[in-house]
Amino acid sequence: MKPMDASHNTTIHVDRVSKRFRLGSGNEYSRLTEVIASNAKDWLKRNLLGAEAKVAFNKEGRNDERFEGNDFWALRDVSFSIARGEVVGVVGHNGAGKSTLLKILSRIVTPTSGRVGVRGRVGSLLEVGTGFHPELTGRENIFLNGAILGLKRAEIKKRFEQIVEFAEISPFLDTPVKRYSSGMTVRLGFSVAAHLQPDVLIIDEVLSVGDQAFQRKCMGKATELGSEGRTVLVVSHNLAAISNMCSRALLIDSGKLAMDGVPSQVIEKYLHSMNSIDGLVEWGEQEAPQSSTVRLRRVAVGGTVSDTPTPQVDIDREIELMVEYDVIQADAVNCVQIHLRDETGVFVFSSANAPSMNSGSDTTFGRPLQQGRYRTVCRVPANFLNDSRYVVSVNLGPEVGQPSIACESVLTFVVHDTGAMRREYLGSWYGPVIRPRLDWSTQSLG
Amino acid sequence: MASDETTSQPIRYYGQRDIWGLGQLREGWKSRELLYSFFLRDLLIRYRQVFVGVLWVLIQPLMSTLIFLALFFVLGANRTESGEVTSTWAYAPIILVGMLLWQMVNNSLRDATGSLVNYRHVITKIYFPRMLLPLSSLLCAVFDMLVGSVLILPVCYFSGVTIHWNTAFLALIAALWLVVFCFGCILWLSALNAHYRDVGYALPFVLQIGMFVSPVVYGTERIRDLLSPWALVLYESNPVAATISLARYGLFGNPLPSILGLVTAFLVTLGLVVSGLAWFQRANQWIADRI
Repeated sequence: MKPMDASHNTTIHVDRVSKRFRLGSGNEYSRLTEVIASNAKDWLKRNLLGAEAKVAFNKEGRNDERFEGNDFWALRDVSFSIARGEVVGVVGHNGAGKSTLLKILSRIVTPTSGRVGVRGRVGSLLEVGTGFHPELTGRENIFLNGAILGLKRAEIKKRFEQIVEFAEISPFLDTPVKRYSSGMTVRLGFSVAAHLQPDVLIIDEVLSVGDQAFQRKCMGKATELGSEGRTVLVVSHNLAAISNMCSRALLIDSGKLAMDGVPSQVIEKYLHSMNSIDGLVEWGEQEAPQSSTVRLRRVAVGGTVSDTPTPQVDIDREIELMVEYDVIQADAVNCVQIHLRDETGVFVFSSANAPSMNSGSDTTFGRPLQQGRYRTVCRVPANFLNDSRYVVSVNLGPEVGQPSIACESVLTFVVHDTGAMRREYLGSWYGPVIRPRLDWSTQSLG
Repeated sequence: MASDETTSQPIRYYGQRDIWGLGQLREGWKSRELLYSFFLRDLLIRYRQVFVGVLWVLIQPLMSTLIFLALFFVLGANRTESGEVTSTWAYAPIILVGMLLWQMVNNSLRDATGSLVNYRHVITKIYFPRMLLPLSSLLCAVFDMLVGSVLILPVCYFSGVTIHWNTAFLALIAALWLVVFCFGCILWLSALNAHYRDVGYALPFVLQIGMFVSPVVYGTERIRDLLSPWALVLYESNPVAATISLARYGLFGNPLPSILGLVTAFLVTLGLVVSGLAWFQRANQWIADRI
């Protein structure tokens, strides 16, 4: 089959690209002497002892189709093309192959098969501040970093003022970068890259670095570049940013292009294709946390649509926190309590199935229970938590506030902003721990 | 860059077949400004205090020359083949020229071998012609050699040796040749070291041996009679030996190596550079995965 060829408007053409990594030799550095010695040993064995020296392949134990002997396919048969002026978001779980794809596009990594074509100059920002030398001053580093990113000296000179102004570091221009604060380094790095004005800009997770103002600067710059007719490719876990910035999104799943389309649909599919491993903790009978009366068996976060637990929930959906336990002593009284903290440890709320904290009703509370498995569910309303990561702790005990089992930080989940609460405001809602929808109205009082 | 310009550009596909790696040279030439920036960075770091930097570059060859002179004096090696005793000082310029050239080899190989590995955080995050990193180490070593060669005149003056100005250009040719030889070496070594870290450990040892295998602190004429003709050609096929002898011939009229020796040394250099380019091109494809 003849590959789909690039039209005149295409700036990025990815044609059946695959990338294979060799496991084992990936991170360890081999030694030339060892290679020579083992080759010599093999040669001796073959020629003097007559034994076949064979390399053992580790074939068992892995059912994932991305593993093949000692090889791992980071990407497999990925094809797409992107036209000029498109701002494209790439989503997928960790390890799905997003970063490998960006590295291939920015020419850092060579694909095992397939080809990648790009029209014009490529600027990639896979890490802010790459290529700074700590001993050199800010001024010298601007020239060095600009040159690494592909700018000519004259071009850097022309934009020098803009770069310095954008980075807000003018008083420190002649100070070695090693004395810069991390914020200054990040600002300087982005500023140089932002003024590079490439035809294709590739950004990996840079949006998650730095403070809010910096993030907005990044996002503003990216949309600006798109409207100027440049092509932008962004990897981010910030789904709200992707749905707001991008005109198109790609979903990479297990090294394959799983979906290519409108950001909102791609994000929807991404959220529901998530692996449930992290949204769930289960214990066997032996290792389960237990007291004399109950044994905790399972804690899970549910996204509400299906019964499968998920660590990723949408902001506009109800969230179910499920606790399952065995009552091992007849007539035991049990109460379930949940603490929710945010990533930074800020206490968001504490709740229990006691009537005073229950907007529904739980008939088991305070009653002696039969032996057997029970499931208690706590429903957190939609449009209540912020788009952030939350940590769940679970307490079980005969009374509220007197836990006999206390499981701290038993699991985490992430609330994703699908854009449902973002109609008017672009940017991250940094700061508040919760973001409830409240009842607002204005009356004319004459 | 205007957008109209962009559409008229052809779409470029990465990694098209380039077995001999000649594309790298073109690409390297295109980004010579980056090479200049790398070079400038290395210089700036070393010559931050100009005085100390220059002093350091001058002191190294001068001190080594003096040490070997003293050694020769102690060993009483200041005799020519015919047995007459000459002034030990007459050896000073000969050793100095050997030292300057050798330190260029030594420093460029030493710095270039680790250059890719030292910059791995950049190599795995951004693309630029990787060849520029070892090349910048080489440029620095060449720069040091040039600074150091201002020593030749005063040393010649004080030791009473006259320079043969009409053949002195041969020394320049020899130096240039040696630079090309180093280029071939660093293409091999830097990429090898990216995969096999023990290359970097073994190198100082190899360099130490190399210094004595090459006529750095002695003249070729001293071992000429010790070796059989074939062994001599083998000895002279070492480009470092050939170029140092050539430089000394040009500057002071010391005996020239045999033509056969020069030709083999030239072929060795050529082979090293051609294979080095091809190897580096291949290494380029896996370097970000393995470094």
